[in-house]
This record gives sequence, structure tokens and C-alpha cells, in this order.
Amino acid sequence: MAEWLGQNTLLLGLALLDGLAYAALVFMVAVGLNLVFGVLRIINIAHGSLFAIGGYAAASLGLFLAAHGLPGWIQYVALVLAAALVGGILGPVIERLVLRRIYGHEQVLQLLVTFALFMILEDVQKLVWGVQPVTNDAPLRLLGTVDVPFGEDVIPFTAYQLFVLPGVALATLGGLAWFLRRTLTGRIIVAVTTDREAATAMGIDARRVFLLTFTFGAGLAALGGALASPTTTLVPGIGASTIVLSFAVVATAGLGQIEGAAISSLLIGIGRSAAVYLAPEFEVVVPYLIMVAVLLVRPQGLFGVVETRRV
Amino acid sequence: MLELAGVTVEIAGVSVLRAVSLHVPAGGRVALIGRNGAGKTTTLRTLMGLLPCRAGRVLIGGEDETHLPAHHRPRHGIGYAPEDRRLFGSFTVRENLLLPVQVLGLPAAEQARRLDAVFTLLPELAELAPRRAAGLSGGQGKMVALGRALMVGTRAVLLDEPFQGLAPALALRYAEALSRLHHALPEVAILITESNPELLRPLVERTFVIERGEIAPAG
Repeated sequence: MAEWLGQNTLLLGLALLDGLAYAALVFMVAVGLNLVFGVLRIINIAHGSLFAIGGYAAASLGLFLAAHGLPGWIQYVALVLAAALVGGILGPVIERLVLRRIYGHEQVLQLLVTFALFMILEDVQKLVWGVQPVTNDAPLRLLGTVDVPFGEDVIPFTAYQLFVLPGVALATLGGLAWFLRRTLTGRIIVAVTTDREAATAMGIDARRVFLLTFTFGAGLAALGGALASPTTTLVPGIGASTIVLSFAVVATAGLGQIEGAAISSLLIGIGRSAAVYLAPEFEVVVPYLIMVAVLLVRPQGLFGVVETRRV
Repeated sequence: MLELAGVTVEIAGVSVLRAVSLHVPAGGRVALIGRNGAGKTTTLRTLMGLLPCRAGRVLIGGEDETHLPAHHRPRHGIGYAPEDRRLFGSFTVRENLLLPVQVLGLPAAEQARRLDAVFTLLPELAELAPRRAAGLSGGQGKMVALGRALMVGTRAVLLDEPFQGLAPALALRYAEALSRLHHALPEVAILITESNPELLRPLVERTFVIERGEIAPAG
């Protein structure tokens, strides 16, 4: 064991750093999915499409700005701007035109509708960006690399993945926790999540809260995609793999758990990248093995509370 | 103040209320008595606008408000304490009490005034204020639910089975609180549901009996 560790320190270190960066991205998507489910009670399969479109939009905007010779820092503004545009436009459109018609219907129908939406958005994405890989790694290159000491070795790792991704994820976690606890709008969202009818009787317009929450959740997914775009090559299907992984995160954490989503993102992110380096043939199954292991012991998820009577 | 006129309500295709008429005058204290499943909760939810009427009208202050969305009820001075309390467990008692007036957008001074008024009426709430609602006992929760209804219920409060499951001593305290409420704020109408008609007799001026979704006035 010690010998094996000695030979593989570098790999372990890389897996850890990669896992951390990856967990940050998964968290951004999973936390939005979680928030939307908590309020709207709809499992939105199309959430992954918003991640993909956010990524494509950010890459295109970044490439466009670079082609016009604008300074490098604009690239980072472009990431956020693209996410805000995608969330701010697609969010309300989807909520108003599609989701509003299926609130309170059977879950099977809701799943079918959001799955249909996912397929439509996937085609829209191919229509706009085609099937050729799109890539803009300017935001990654501009910050350069950092030498991370690891045991006797040094691992060169991009500053973007080391600082920017976990930094944004932490800020999102802290900001969201603060927003939900300390602001009136946040408390209104929590009230609707806890008990929609009681919240309505207290004067809360649940429909407005639905629109607001969905738009916000869509923005978080798009931001996840935008932040991921410099680290990867965008191809069709990226939305599907993201949504499946964030479902695993949400199920592992327990629905409605924001801090829990952060921890299970770490668990699954690091688990997955450990598999990539150490046992690549298991890369695809590791997140689900972690999920299944957790759910076998705690069916309500790591941090989920057994739901008491709701109605 | 509050009136149902020939209201029929269906839930999943089954008539739960059939041509129900009921009147709660301004400042009046009215009991709605019925067995489990008779339609008491449905009646209150209909008054709150949480269920659509298939026929009939809901009147608030003499105006036809049948189609007024539920979340506008507090704006009309109607407070509601649902069955099972339905507090927001992760909030403190103070946050639970303040939420409806914050949502209404009342000025901070008015929010504080109402909170003080509720604390005066229900002194135990002042002690419970910093505690999480999830940690309250059933009886404490009922008091908080009453207080929360009173925060916006300047014209009427609807109390759904507040005595159910209360220990005798707590039930007595709750009844005393209702008497205090009536003396301190005589303009607030009170509609209470209950399955035991004897319990409410000293507290109300008028009783309606509901049976299988139909109401017959009984003095």
C-alpha cells in the first residue's frame, strides 16, 4: 500500500485537484436543480440543456470579443454575461410557456414534458452551434498555471481551475445561504418550499416565486456551463451527461439541501476524477456507485430529512 | 364580514361542499361544528380562496370576491391558522409571525406595533420569539399559529380546529386567549371549527353545523 502510494502520489494529487474543480462545476448545476425542485416540485431534466447552452453562449461571446481585439479581462465578464442572458431569457420563457401548464400534474407527465423540452433544446443548440466542437480556453490560459506542491512533487495546475471555479462555487454557496436566510425574498422562497399553501395563505404569490426561482436556477445552470466552457470542448451531449451527474449529486445529498449538495458534489467530483486517473474503466459508474452506497444506508440522502406529512 | 352564498366545491370530482351558506358578521364569533371529513377544513380553505368554487359566491365585507386570488386575503385583513399549525419550521417564531406583514410590505413601525399587540395578547409568544418553530410543542405551535393569523387578521381570523390535540390545561389557556382577543379587539371576527360542540359554546355567539358537506344553522 505504502509503496503504491509512493508511486502514485502525483496521480492522487492530480485527481484531488481535478476533482475539486469538477465538483465546483457540478455543484453550480446541482444546487440550481435542487432549488427549482424544492419550490416548483418539478424535476427539470432540461436543466442540463441550460448548462450546455450557457457554455456555448459563453464560448461564442468570448471568441467574438477576442476577435474584436478586446482586452483579456473582458473574457471573464463574458462568462457571467452569457450566463445571465441565457438564464434571464430562457428561464422566464420556459417557466411561462411550458412549466406553468404542468404544475400539480402527475410526476410522470412532468418528467415527460421536461424531457421533451430537453430534446428540443438539444436540437436548438445543434441548430445554432452545429455539431462541430466549440472551444474557447482564453479564460483558462490568461490566468496561467500555479505550481502546487504535493509531497515531494510539484503539480502545475491552471489557476482558473484552482481558484476561480472553487471560488465561484464557494461564493454561490455562501451567497445563497445568506440570501435564503437573511433576505425577505429568500425567506419567501423557503416558505413556499416548506409549505406552498400555508405560504399562499400568508399572502405570498406562489406563481411569482416560481418564476423567480426558475429563472434563478436556470441562471445558475447557465453559469455552471459558462464556467465549464474554458476547461472543456463543447460537443452535443454535454447537457445530458451533466444533468445525470447532478441528479446523482442531488439524490446523494437529499432534496432541498444546499450545504449537502456542496458536500456530495465534492464526494462525487473527487470520486469521479480519482477513477479517471486510477481506474479509468470505472469513470462512468463511480458517481452512481457512490450514490447507491449512500442511498442504501440513508434512503433520504446524506442530509435529507424524512419528510413528514405535507398535506 | 365573511360570507359563503350557496357554495359548492369539488375536490377531484367529488362534491365536498354542497350549496353551503354561512355568514360571519363583523366582530362576530362563530363556530363551525362537524365530524371529521364533514367539510370544515374545506369551508375555511374555500373562504381563503385556496379552493375554487364550482357554484356560489364568496363575499368579503359585502363584496363579491369569489375570484380573488388566495394570496390577496391577508390584504383584506383576513388571517388564517390552518389545521396542524403549518408553521415554517426553519424560521424562528418571530420570523413566522413577521412573514405575513413583511410580505404585505407594511412599514417597519407598523410591523413592530402589530408584533407588540400580539405579544400583549399572547404573552407566551414573547418568550418563544427567538426559538425555532420546528422545536415547539403542539400546543405552543397552535399559539404561534394564532398569533401569525392575528398579525394580518385585522378584520377576521379563521381558526381550523385549534383545540384538537391540546391538553386540557393548554385548551383552557387557548380559550382564555380567545376571550382576551375578543375584548381587546372586538372588531375582529372569529370563525372557529371544532368537532365537539360543547367546547366552544361559551366562546361563540353563533354555531353552524356541517354534515357531509351541507350546513344547517343551529342557533
